Amino acid sequence: MIETGIPKVDEFLGGVKPKGKNLVYYIQHGVEGEIFVIQTVYNSLKNGGTCVFVVSSTTPDNIRNLFKEFGWDIDPYKNNLFFVDAYNPLIGALSNEKYVVSNPDNIEDFSKVITDVLKELHPGTIVFGSLSTVMDLCGETETIEAVRSWNKLAMLYDHVMVYNFTAWPYSRETLDLIKKDMFNAVISIGGIAERVIFGQYFGILKSDWAKETKKSMLFRVLRPGGIKLFIPKILVTGPFDAGKSSFVHALSTRAISVDRFGTTIALDHGHVDYKGFSADIFGTPGQERFDPIIKLLSGESMGIFLVVDSTNPTDFVRAKQMLEITKSYGLPYVVIANKQDLPGALTPEEIRKQFNLPDDVPIIPAVAKDKIGVYEAFEVLIDKITGESDA
Amino acid sequence: MSDYTTGIKELDDPIGGIKKGSNIMLIGPPMSRKEVILYNIMYHGAAKNENAVITVTTRESATHILEWFKENKLALPLSRVGIVDCVTKTLGGGAIENENIKIASSPVDLTGIGVKISQFFEEFFMKKNIRKTQLHINSLSTILMYSNIQTVFRFLHVFTGRIKAAGALGIYVLESGMHDEQAIATLKQLFDGMIEIKSENDKNFIRVIGLSPKPTPWFEYEIEGANVRIVGRK
Repeated sequence: MIETGIPKVDEFLGGVKPKGKNLVYYIQHGVEGEIFVIQTVYNSLKNGGTCVFVVSSTTPDNIRNLFKEFGWDIDPYKNNLFFVDAYNPLIGALSNEKYVVSNPDNIEDFSKVITDVLKELHPGTIVFGSLSTVMDLCGETETIEAVRSWNKLAMLYDHVMVYNFTAWPYSRETLDLIKKDMFNAVISIGGIAERVIFGQYFGILKSDWAKETKKSMLFRVLRPGGIKLFIPKILVTGPFDAGKSSFVHALSTRAISVDRFGTTIALDHGHVDYKGFSADIFGTPGQERFDPIIKLLSGESMGIFLVVDSTNPTDFVRAKQMLEITKSYGLPYVVIANKQDLPGALTPEEIRKQFNLPDDVPIIPAVAKDKIGVYEAFEVLIDKITGESDA
Repeated sequence: MSDYTTGIKELDDPIGGIKKGSNIMLIGPPMSRKEVILYNIMYHGAAKNENAVITVTTRESATHILEWFKENKLALPLSRVGIVDCVTKTLGGGAIENENIKIASSPVDLTGIGVKISQFFEEFFMKKNIRKTQLHINSLSTILMYSNIQTVFRFLHVFTGRIKAAGALGIYVLESGMHDEQAIATLKQLFDGMIEIKSENDKNFIRVIGLSPKPTPWFEYEIEGANVRIVGRK
């Protein structure tokens, strides 16, 4: 039985990967995904397992050094760690490794070495540092066929196969095969993007041995330290009396407000756990004299809820102004059309028109005091943050 | 004038600067000292236009590039400069990352290069609040030596798209005469324009194509130290 050692991944996968199974880390380009196999290998070695690391885009020595960068000493396990060197021959350099692919751009050469490894070594974890590089060198179709046969052989010899795959714009057919068909488990690793990638998350897309899937977690990569889960900060802002505190309290599993006679004068703070995501929520005051606090609170936010009173269009100018203050880094945001239960409340489309908001900005009708629309809004914002809504 | 310029007045004036979101191929023959032109664009971008400049280097180490600026007494504002070094690890040298330098494993490791570029983008855009960014890749020719044209096209497709989305400027250096016409034609699809260099009778010429209604004239240039001087017009 083999664990990845990555927080939450083992939990999501039901604790362990059964032998003979295979798993792919499906990584969005630009996102730091290499660490996933590194951490998997280190954890496996630490637990007494045998590992084989297939390197295609750098030297085995560079990978050995990478373990050190993360603060992981592999020396005690060096007899249990083998490398398949498919890089040095590519650049015409000599290799000191036991297993060498002499023509890394020839899938048959690759297959021969991998087959030897699978047959010769005790059951262990075979890790591909970059399946996409193999695919780039050997061709998409050829590599897919080879991976299928390696996986079958691995099942026969009780090895666990783990692949890192960077989802460059390959053909849709190839990406779908990798994402949906070819592997027992798929862990998606993506970036939170709005002009630039400024956060990373992983989620279980598929697992044929674990019950619960579709969970995602934000993470950071620390050197040393490896993968650490990341709890984001979400800001709730909007004009005075729009219902921000009600929204924070309605959404949160626990919340507290710093207020005076019911008006927030410093902040609302809440914590929400919903559908595998947990987040800290910060609500700002609405009055102009507290604007400096808004600037302070908005730092390092990953998304924004802009709460407006649907019955009070005169406040929309102020709402826009607040958005400008808080949205200084181009963050994803969702507009909460609150107080939909009151007479004269504008519909989301009327608000979009009056607010002059682009079509891609979601406006969610809500009655915060009754918890109506708040979880829907949370899901929409999380989707925006993780890029799911762009898929 | 635009936020993005080449720093060579004779080229910038007729094109009125470079539109944000542009991706440009800088193509020229070996030994035409393209790298000095690129370093000038880098210096001009960071020091004069106050842009962040991310340079991916597959030919010189990051340390070597920074030394070049020092030797030529060009005060590069380091807080705006990020270099992705794809050379040092390949040579087995000690590779230490710092605020200005990130190390990629090799020119083959396009995934790693992509991650390092993204990290610099995040750092400049999110942490330092610098909105104007230039990405220079020197050179695509080295990358093409290790990876096939489809692979490089996929990589560039992603990054040229990001440059457009971020309103940044991308400059990609290519050696002329080293790749077949079909490869260059394939890559050209991704670019908005070209800074083209040619050598004739021991003289070097430069022009800009695609960034203004008409190409600029060919200008003869000479390089003295770090200075690119236009000395004539063809």
